[in-house]
Amino acid sequence: MAKSSSPSLLQGTLDLLILHALQRGPLHGYAVAQTIHLLSDDVLTVEEGSLYPALYRLELDGAISSTWGLSDNNRKAKYYKITGRGKKLVAEQQQTWDRLSAAVQRVLAR
Amino acid sequence: MRRTFLKMLRRRKLHRDLEAELAFHRDMGAIHGNPIGLGNAALIREQALDLWRFTLIENLWHDLTYAVRSLRRSPAFVLTALLSLALGIGANIAIFSLVDAVILKYLPVERPEELMQLEYRAPDWSDESSTFANPVWEQVRDHQDVFAAAFAWSNKDRLDLTQGGMMRPANGLWVSGGFFRAMGLNAAAGRLISDSDDRRGCPAVAILSYGFWQDHFGGAMSAIGSTLSLRSRAFEVIGVAPRGFFGMEVGERFDLALPICATAIFDGEKPRLDNRNFLWLNVGGRIHPEMSRAQLTSRLKAISPRIFMPQGASPEERQYLSKIALTPIPAASGISRLRHQFSQPLEILMAVVGLVLLIACANLGNLMFARALARNKEFAVRQALGASHTRLVRQLLTECVVLSSGGALLGALLARWTTTLLARSISTAQNSVFLDLSLDTRMLGFVLAGAGLTPLLFGLLPALRSTRVSLSSAMRGSQSGEAGRSLRFHVRKWIVGSQVALSLVLLVAAGLLLRSFVKLVTLDIGFDRNNVLLVHTDLRTAKISIDRQAATYEAIESRLSALPGVLSVGRSMITPISGDMGVDNGVHTEWTKTPKVDQGWSDADAKFLVYKDYISPGYLPALRMRLLAGRNFTRADMGSSRVAIVNQTFARRFFPGLNPIGRAYLDGFPVQPVEVVGLVEDSKYLSLREENPPTAFLPLKYLSELGDSDTLLLRTAIPPSRLIVPVVAAIAEVNRAIPLEFHTLADQVNDSLAQERLLALLSGFFGALAVILAMIGLYGTFTYLVTQRQKEFGMRMALGAEPASILSLVMRDLMAVLSAGLVAGILISLAATRLLQQMLYGLTPHDTTTMFLAAGVLSAVALVAGYIPARRATRVDPMTTLRQE
Repeated sequence: MAKSSSPSLLQGTLDLLILHALQRGPLHGYAVAQTIHLLSDDVLTVEEGSLYPALYRLELDGAISSTWGLSDNNRKAKYYKITGRGKKLVAEQQQTWDRLSAAVQRVLAR
Repeated sequence: MRRTFLKMLRRRKLHRDLEAELAFHRDMGAIHGNPIGLGNAALIREQALDLWRFTLIENLWHDLTYAVRSLRRSPAFVLTALLSLALGIGANIAIFSLVDAVILKYLPVERPEELMQLEYRAPDWSDESSTFANPVWEQVRDHQDVFAAAFAWSNKDRLDLTQGGMMRPANGLWVSGGFFRAMGLNAAAGRLISDSDDRRGCPAVAILSYGFWQDHFGGAMSAIGSTLSLRSRAFEVIGVAPRGFFGMEVGERFDLALPICATAIFDGEKPRLDNRNFLWLNVGGRIHPEMSRAQLTSRLKAISPRIFMPQGASPEERQYLSKIALTPIPAASGISRLRHQFSQPLEILMAVVGLVLLIACANLGNLMFARALARNKEFAVRQALGASHTRLVRQLLTECVVLSSGGALLGALLARWTTTLLARSISTAQNSVFLDLSLDTRMLGFVLAGAGLTPLLFGLLPALRSTRVSLSSAMRGSQSGEAGRSLRFHVRKWIVGSQVALSLVLLVAAGLLLRSFVKLVTLDIGFDRNNVLLVHTDLRTAKISIDRQAATYEAIESRLSALPGVLSVGRSMITPISGDMGVDNGVHTEWTKTPKVDQGWSDADAKFLVYKDYISPGYLPALRMRLLAGRNFTRADMGSSRVAIVNQTFARRFFPGLNPIGRAYLDGFPVQPVEVVGLVEDSKYLSLREENPPTAFLPLKYLSELGDSDTLLLRTAIPPSRLIVPVVAAIAEVNRAIPLEFHTLADQVNDSLAQERLLALLSGFFGALAVILAMIGLYGTFTYLVTQRQKEFGMRMALGAEPASILSLVMRDLMAVLSAGLVAGILISLAATRLLQQMLYGLTPHDTTTMFLAAGVLSAVALVAGYIPARRATRVDPMTTLRQE
């Protein structure tokens, strides 16, 4: 199997970020990366090496679906849309993340 | 699962989609002046597609096609690999299928694992016996409540299908009435023998085996109800046994099955059915599924006294018989003399072919290393492009699996006909061996294991070692990466060294077996086996009464002596090295207690046992046995029990230091003195391996329990087989009804060496194969060494080194590998050849001559194989090599 360098926490986080970005409406892969980049005030950069495997995995899990459409500059692009299952997932993951980050905060505060 | 399958079908589309998506991403990034993550496209592709569940299968398919493509580019390598694998795996399959057929396979009957055979042991016997007298079997049949079903059979009785003239023997199987039902078999045609067919005074009925039905009746239904002549008695065919059922003895195949009661038709006044001392039936039963073996044993023990006790037994007899207990032994794979005879040779051969396969694998491992070296750059590039180390290893192993599967397939084909050939080679003229060689699951498993395990043997190490490459060193060119390379060379030296060791073990084993065989063949056996035609006769079937037998034989003898090409004609009851021939009336004549005249009778002492044969005056000249003192028999001696000719061992044992001629010993029942009239040279009697036994030759006589099936021995001036037709004609002039069977004495003697011949031949063949394989390995490795050190050699020569010193540089390496291999090989041989002990004759397993010979042959060949590349090293042009830098 191909090697994977991203630890599981980061991978889970990336899923959450992607799903969150898609909650605003259908986006193509590049736009997803851009959205995350912008929303994080240029802190987070999603590399395509992690983005596309994540997108494929989410699609396979049924959290998002995809269709081919035209991009703003009239090029063929694959648009991803969040599904009902994805919305539920995002809520769950949001909670997990909140708990986790609060816990990390508490640890670091002491 | 379904989704995975659908995705599989859409595989190409998914690939295209991902490509398009990535291209779009790149372009967008470029437009925005924002080249996000210029990652490794191939890696992304792999990771993204990994998600789809089919990657495993897809990779496998990829690896397979890749393997085939890369193998196609090196046909020479593939050919060598396939050939050595086919030979290695094929040899294993061939020997294993014999092991399977002879030792492992179950009988083709219903639930064979439930079958048990009965054994028992009388208090004063040294061994268990598995043969029963008919009255005892009848007791078992009528009084057992232990088995779900009990049955009896007698293995092999040769029945003659003709009415006089050249015998057409058929193998008879005597069965009890419940036999076929107990086996759970159904008739292929007609009906099988049932309880009602096996009663005293039963009519003459017979069952045909499926094969016999096909061969003699073309499988026609009209066979049922037809009449067969067996030893000149008419039998009605009532049915055909199912296809595939060959009887109870592995190695034999019955032609006709007859009910036990029908023996009375042949036996006349003294039927074996009532004889308590004639042990001829095997008895078995089907164990109740819920009964354990221990329960069965104790239940059998409980009923044993009742079964062995005859009516009106004396108290002494009761005391004796009450100690006998029946014990069950598993009979799922039948019984087999062949198994007894050949299981050890087969085990030895299995070990031998195992070693051959190991050597072949070592060779391939070596080749894989060489190949991997050539592909260094390829591996480095592919790793740089994102292929993981495991992926490369897997790919190399896939190549190995492709090779070994091909090898196993070829090997299986090769094994298919060699096995038949081998099975035929253990058949002899007098004893044709039948083996069920059909493919079974065990066999299939063995082939698959062969195909699956061998690549691990030869492929894993090279795959692991050679895929660890550094890109930079690989790219810099062939002269770098010295450290890793020499490590690999060390591994290869180890491989070659162990090949030498294993080949030596095989050579030593082959040498020991071959030399034993040669010793046996060239042994002085005390008679001249060549140009003797043996003619077995049977006067009982021809219904010639006892009082006319002597005259009949004399008439035959005088006619045969007159035939052109016949030098002399002899006659005897038993012929040498015939095994158990000629004892079909139940009187064992070979072992008879012979008391010495002056020391009285000592019953238990085995040293008074002598071999006996009954002969005519023509016997000694026909066999060219030398009379050392005294006289031969004359016609006047015939029928007398008072004179004997003895051999040297007999004389030494019973008349030590004395001239035996004219002395007497006591023999017979009632005891009477027998005068020694002649002394002959020692000769072999039962087998070539035995010590010459003390033997007494007595004049032929015709009593009810002896005689009626003498063998005529014709010393011929022409090839014996050319006399068969005239002999048949000459004997027909005397009596047309006498059945005749022909053999040559040479065949009879050589056939007794069947297992030795098989072992010697095969181990010799495999030993040679092993040496060839080891030499290829040695040659390859040293060719590689020389190429690798080309620069160094060039440099040395440029600096003034003589070619001779270069040569010795290489040869020193070779000597190191060779001597390490030889030492290891001799050590292994010393430990391993002890297994051969029983197969050897006139040699110890640690025979030094054989060891030295084997080591010498191997060294000579190894030196040649190493010398050729070493020689090439000295021809290196210094300028060429230096320019390459």
